[in-house]
Amino acid sequence: MDKQVFNIKNLDLYYGKFQALKNINLTIEKNKVTALIGPSGCGKSTFIRVLNRMNDLIEECRIVGDVHFHQDDIYHEKFDVIDLRTRVGMVFQKPNPFPMSIYDNVAYGPRCQGIKDKAELDEIVDKALKSAALYEEVNERMKESAMDLSGGQQQRLCIARAIAMNPEVILMDEPTSALDPIATLKIEELINDLKEQYTIVIVTHSMQQAARISDTTAFFLMGELIETDNTDKIFTQPKMKETEDYITGRFG
Amino acid sequence: MNTNTRKKKRVDQIVRSIFLASTLLSASFIIIIVIFIVMKGITPFITDNDGLGVVNIWTFLTGTVWLQGTAFQSNLYAVGFIIVNTLYIAFLSLLLSLPVGVLTALFIAKIAPKRLAEFLRTIVELLASIPSIVYGLFGSGIILTFVYNLAELFGVQSKGGNSVLATVLVLALMTLPTITAVSEVAIRSVRKDIEEGSLALGATRTQTNFKVVLASAKSGIFAAAILGIGRSLGEATAVSLVAGNAKSGPNLGLFDITTTLTSTMLQGLKETTGVDYDIRFSVGIVLMIVILLTNFILNAVKKRVGNVNVK
Amino acid sequence: MSNKRKAIDIAYQAITYLASSVSLLALSMIVYFVWSNGSGLLNMDLLTKDYHAKYYNGEMVEVGDYSTTLRPSDLDDDIYYSEQYGIGLSDAKDREGNPIILVEYIASDSPMLKLADRNSEDIIALEEGMLISKVAFFDKATALRTFGAEYMVNELDSATDFREIVFTSLGGGIRGSIITTLYLIGMTMAMALPIGVFTAIYLNEFAKKNRITSTLRTLIDTLTGVPSIIYGLMGLAVFVPLTISVTPATSGNLISGSLTLAVILLPVIIKSTEESLKVVPDGLRQASLALGANETQTTFKVVLPSSIPGILTASLLGIGRVIGESAALIFAIGTAVKDDISIFGKSTSLAVHIWSMMTDEPANIELSSTIAIIILMIVLVLNITVKLLSKKFMKPMQ
Repeated sequence: MDKQVFNIKNLDLYYGKFQALKNINLTIEKNKVTALIGPSGCGKSTFIRVLNRMNDLIEECRIVGDVHFHQDDIYHEKFDVIDLRTRVGMVFQKPNPFPMSIYDNVAYGPRCQGIKDKAELDEIVDKALKSAALYEEVNERMKESAMDLSGGQQQRLCIARAIAMNPEVILMDEPTSALDPIATLKIEELINDLKEQYTIVIVTHSMQQAARISDTTAFFLMGELIETDNTDKIFTQPKMKETEDYITGRFG
Repeated sequence: MNTNTRKKKRVDQIVRSIFLASTLLSASFIIIIVIFIVMKGITPFITDNDGLGVVNIWTFLTGTVWLQGTAFQSNLYAVGFIIVNTLYIAFLSLLLSLPVGVLTALFIAKIAPKRLAEFLRTIVELLASIPSIVYGLFGSGIILTFVYNLAELFGVQSKGGNSVLATVLVLALMTLPTITAVSEVAIRSVRKDIEEGSLALGATRTQTNFKVVLASAKSGIFAAAILGIGRSLGEATAVSLVAGNAKSGPNLGLFDITTTLTSTMLQGLKETTGVDYDIRFSVGIVLMIVILLTNFILNAVKKRVGNVNVK
Repeated sequence: MSNKRKAIDIAYQAITYLASSVSLLALSMIVYFVWSNGSGLLNMDLLTKDYHAKYYNGEMVEVGDYSTTLRPSDLDDDIYYSEQYGIGLSDAKDREGNPIILVEYIASDSPMLKLADRNSEDIIALEEGMLISKVAFFDKATALRTFGAEYMVNELDSATDFREIVFTSLGGGIRGSIITTLYLIGMTMAMALPIGVFTAIYLNEFAKKNRITSTLRTLIDTLTGVPSIIYGLMGLAVFVPLTISVTPATSGNLISGSLTLAVILLPVIIKSTEESLKVVPDGLRQASLALGANETQTTFKVVLPSSIPGILTASLLGIGRVIGESAALIFAIGTAVKDDISIFGKSTSLAVHIWSMMTDEPANIELSSTIAIIILMIVLVLNITVKLLSKKFMKPMQ
């Protein structure tokens, strides 16, 4: 197996006439946590949505360049985007559980794939909830509405929902921005556990979080990828002046 | 304080009291409606109706024949079967209009290309603006013929098509635009990130629409259903043209003639005094109570459905 | 994606297409139905004619004053022409299938144009489009309409005089119902608009946010859910006796009808006006008050003008509702179709006119459809206007 999961070359992205991403080149490696940092509006959230083609939903969005997932060009017209999304899961800024029971939330993805066998679904759901460190808390109330969970629990449910698809990659778009510090800590611990099995790409507005959990950090500014390196290196000896300005808090 | 200011203050006070009087008047009408209809409507139950005798409220509410004996000579009125008919017809029509309306709303809000969606929205608005008498006319011109032929196909001789089915079809048609419009608003207001959550899990657009969007909009869709039922229960003229005016029941067969609370009220308009006149107000009270109770029950159900998971 | 999944998706999508086509189909069928049944009667005469047929008994004013006009060449073959009296008649059938004789042509010098009315001193005229029921003679058997037009023409031409000609105007016009509808619109709006607008202003501008205000609001909102037949009962129980006691009216009348309609419109007008009052920025009010204007001046000079679009929208919606309303008016006025309209008497709006004809035996679907076409056209125009209005006025406000 190759070590490169995503390989992005010369990527430009436009919203109508506005260019949101400029000439991005980046490689995302297997079983690593890659953090995308940068001031708000720098394009990091836009970029992460390139990887599972969620930008397709925006009508005016246009993409130029190469985005390879393993060997496949994911923007090739014959490429199956549904298949991509089953292999690349995503967790959003705000917890977005479906208005269904906890069980149905986790079973949603597999069911969409056509899995109907009750025993099989039970096993998937249990495993996903355990991996997301939520099992103990919800085991007794699987049939209750997911809307009744706390914010942190909801977000872990969303992670469980993604895990239930058994993806290779999990994209996380500021997953803790709507959570309190304790819930945030739990999610961060979870991310640390998950990277054994999954490749994780996480957008974060918090540099401390990037420093705590990621192996590689990429710094975005005004739609450009300024610098990418090992997290340790970025935070101790950045090569670019903009990166240094940002991490030392001179702007952003 | 000079005179000018004082005068201005006075004008303010007068104008303000005119506004207040208007408001009190506007608010009083619902009370007037209830008081007067109740006053008239209970007359048959508390007076001896010019010697005909008191109408027994229990038989009135449970009986299965509208009027035993002839008008002016009998106090044996009953609406029990009509209450059953009215609810039966309203729910049957909802059974047709709710799925069609919700699917249309889903189509307009999520599936149709922009132009087509705009076109259909206009169609729905136009349907909503057609007065009920025109629906009644259409019903007695087209739907009656259709039902008559359909009944013949099943070997049933219907009374010119006047039937439960015809009434249900007319009401379904009339409530369709309301249900569609309200459901569409509900579907549009589903949070975008919930949809994205589904798509990001590899669900197709269609799976997302049917499994997540509809589930998220269910409270609004339920509200649409409640509105639709309310309209069905209260609709009068269109129903009176296709119901067939059954005198006894309940009428549950699809091709049987029927009668509803409203169509009963529109019968025998010639009477101007006595129990035969007052009884119409009694039916009015029953109608208001039926509508209130139905609303109350459905809203209670809606609250439960809204909070507890379904599926 | 598997083929099976694709197929399921397509099936689900197809269902939504199918469901949506129901609305389209329904609207086209309704339009097609009323047009195919009603367009035949649609002309200017309809709008100006009386609904009820009028009976005339006429006789010759001066015997021997015959027509000299020869049969016009452009007259159809199935029209029988009486040279002596200068009239062309044809056979037809009425809606019940009974034979009738229709006046198709009258020469300009026909004696039938000035007949003596046997019931009064007046001079009456036979007109094209009228029906002749019989012609009675002095010395021979009466020519009845059942004998046909040819027989009648032959009998007329072989007689120098006749004792009596009985003819009727065709009727079937809707002038009375149009006038009634216009009266109802005018009187209803005159009552509902001020009360509704004042109420909206009070609730939005003056009322404190407390229990009493919210109770008033709830009471007004509850009106929205009341079915129109219940309003009708209220009209019958409250407004009909009220108008009978203070006006010359002796039964349900246009005033009691308008009062009932006004109550129906109140919640619509209040809501629509309030919505447009809400978008008036508070800064405007404060600026006006800061300039020394009092509440009244501020309300009438600053707030009210800004809410004109809302009031206008409410008026148009209200007019639509008045035109379409049937159940309430059946009780609050009655169902008797009239040609001479008085606001103290009974008569029908266009919508109730349809109901009256449809509950008759046999139902007059043709004329009902014609009226339905007129109602639909008015409602359509009103709706388009409301849409344009809201596009034009609501945008700059937001």
